[in-house]
Amino acid sequence: MDFKPCVNIRKEWDIVGARQLGREQAKEVGFGTVDQARIATAISELARNIYLYAGKGKICFEVINEFDHKGLKISAIDQGPGIRDLNQVMQDGYSTSGGLGAGLPGVKRLMDHFEITTEVDEGTQIHTIKWLR
Amino acid sequence: MEQMLLGEAKLNKKCRGGIFLDGTLQEFVVNNSDVIIKNWLEEVTEKRKSDYTSSISTELFQSTNREFVNVIFSSLDKQGLTTELDDFSERLINLGWPLSYLTDGLQTFRRVTIDFILSQSEKIETNHFTNVLEMVDNWVDPIINSLVNEYSGNWEHTVSLQRVALQELSAPLIPVMKNITIMPLIGTIDTERAKLIMENLLEGTIKHNAEVVLIDITGVPVVDTMVAHHIIQAAEAVRLIGSTCILVGIRPEIAQTIVNLGIDLGKFPTKSSLRKGFEKALELTGRKITRSKERDQTIEKMMSSLEEG
Amino acid sequence: MRIPILKLHNYLLISIQIDLDDQTAIQFQEDLLNKIHKSGATGVVIDLTSVDIIDSFIAKVLGDVVSMSDLMGARVVLTGIQPAVAMTLIDLGIHLQNVTTALDLEQGLIKLRQELEA
Ligand SMILES: Nc1ncnc2c1ncn2[C@@H]1O[C@H](COP(=O)(O)OP(=O)(O)OP(=O)(O)O)[C@@H](O)[C@H]1O
Ligand SMILES: [Mg+2]
Repeated sequence: MDFKPCVNIRKEWDIVGARQLGREQAKEVGFGTVDQARIATAISELARNIYLYAGKGKICFEVINEFDHKGLKISAIDQGPGIRDLNQVMQDGYSTSGGLGAGLPGVKRLMDHFEITTEVDEGTQIHTIKWLR
Repeated sequence: MEQMLLGEAKLNKKCRGGIFLDGTLQEFVVNNSDVIIKNWLEEVTEKRKSDYTSSISTELFQSTNREFVNVIFSSLDKQGLTTELDDFSERLINLGWPLSYLTDGLQTFRRVTIDFILSQSEKIETNHFTNVLEMVDNWVDPIINSLVNEYSGNWEHTVSLQRVALQELSAPLIPVMKNITIMPLIGTIDTERAKLIMENLLEGTIKHNAEVVLIDITGVPVVDTMVAHHIIQAAEAVRLIGSTCILVGIRPEIAQTIVNLGIDLGKFPTKSSLRKGFEKALELTGRKITRSKERDQTIEKMMSSLEEG
Repeated sequence: MRIPILKLHNYLLISIQIDLDDQTAIQFQEDLLNKIHKSGATGVVIDLTSVDIIDSFIAKVLGDVVSMSDLMGARVVLTGIQPAVAMTLIDLGIHLQNVTTALDLEQGLIKLRQELEA
């Protein structure tokens, strides 16, 4: 397989591309169907946020292979407007666009590890990991 | 020989006192093993009267003690840990002897040996005392460490085996009737188990084409917010895949905690008992229990014949 | 890409067989409402057996479709949501509270009939 560590998000269809690649990767790492769905859905949320709020950015994949720990790391990186009130954004139901506002808090629940750094007018970086059970 | 070596430690001249004429402290101990063993056996037997090994037969206890003390000595002989020690501890683990038998025994051994050596020394000086302690510690400590490791490794092994066993038994799904399935939950529910339960529940619901799923929590000892949360999520997921979930087996104290914790179970049906839940399930799948007329008539006949007779 | 909508008596049947992108989902919403309007259908079954991802956007579109159809006098039943998808939705905190669900197309039709007759 041609290993592509990052998928650029520029158009709407890239969201589908990113989550499909994510599912492939998850399968390869050895995740079951439920966790594959969780990972693919998390990617979908992150990629859509990039598309909607930052315009463009990228989703990167990294297989983590520590001695007793295997997992898949998903990073969403953009140079968009950043998030002004992070606390508010991490609450269920908060949305600036009329969405369900389930995205970011949802991603946190779907994945095992969630880390976000954001700077207004600089961009947003989100790193998440799902560990193989 | 003026000096005796014990590892790097020098033995004080003054304590030779005729005892250590020809060898190391170690040899001295080996040469006097009979006395040390005798002292140890006496102490251990004395101590036994009041402790955990009292359910073990006297013969077995004594033969084990003898073997134990031989193993200790052979580890001294061979300068380190031996396969005898491994074999011995493995056997005790399998027989279910408590670790404290070994650790207590070794502590007693340490004391008995030190007492004995010192009682045989003419003069007791700090230097000599230190040497004796060091020698005995170097001897006994690795044995204790190895035994503790062996035991705890074994516990971990057992615990992980039990976990697998528990996982296998943790979420059975019983298709009692066409379209009705029961999942009895037993034991404590943690996050990991909750995920497993949810997966089994959903896969099973699809597999058995269950229109109604009864989750029976009679066997769940404590329902706190976390457990309730997991159960609610499972029920929600069941609804999403197109089936109906009824929560049954809600004991009074559980009803109390659920309400006191402010948990809202209002969104799906709950019943106090499996029987009531099952009746509800029948109703939902368009069925109901009726007693066949024939049987009623037979009973009536029997009753009237009794009255007549 | 367009999702085909079949008509059967008073019902509309839709089986979604592709990975829904946002545009297709919105197109589908529009197509379905138009079809309800034209056909006067009273019931809709949307079968999701082959759908392996429903993210918050698609969930919103589906929830909206149900409410909108309801406004137009057509009951909607979602069928065949996969266990993995259901669990993911729960993690996302999406419960599709007001949506009727059924295990498969057949039971979806039965449920529709029951609801419409009641
Ligand atoms: N990459 C980003 N750059 C800038 N702002 C962002 C980014 N991601 C999220 N946000 C902000 O955070 C808010 C919450 O995002 P979240 O994904 O949780 O909900 P949503 O996208 O509004 O709705 P949903 O994802 O449920 O459709 C967004 O409305 C947006 O204002
Ligand atoms: Mg979003």
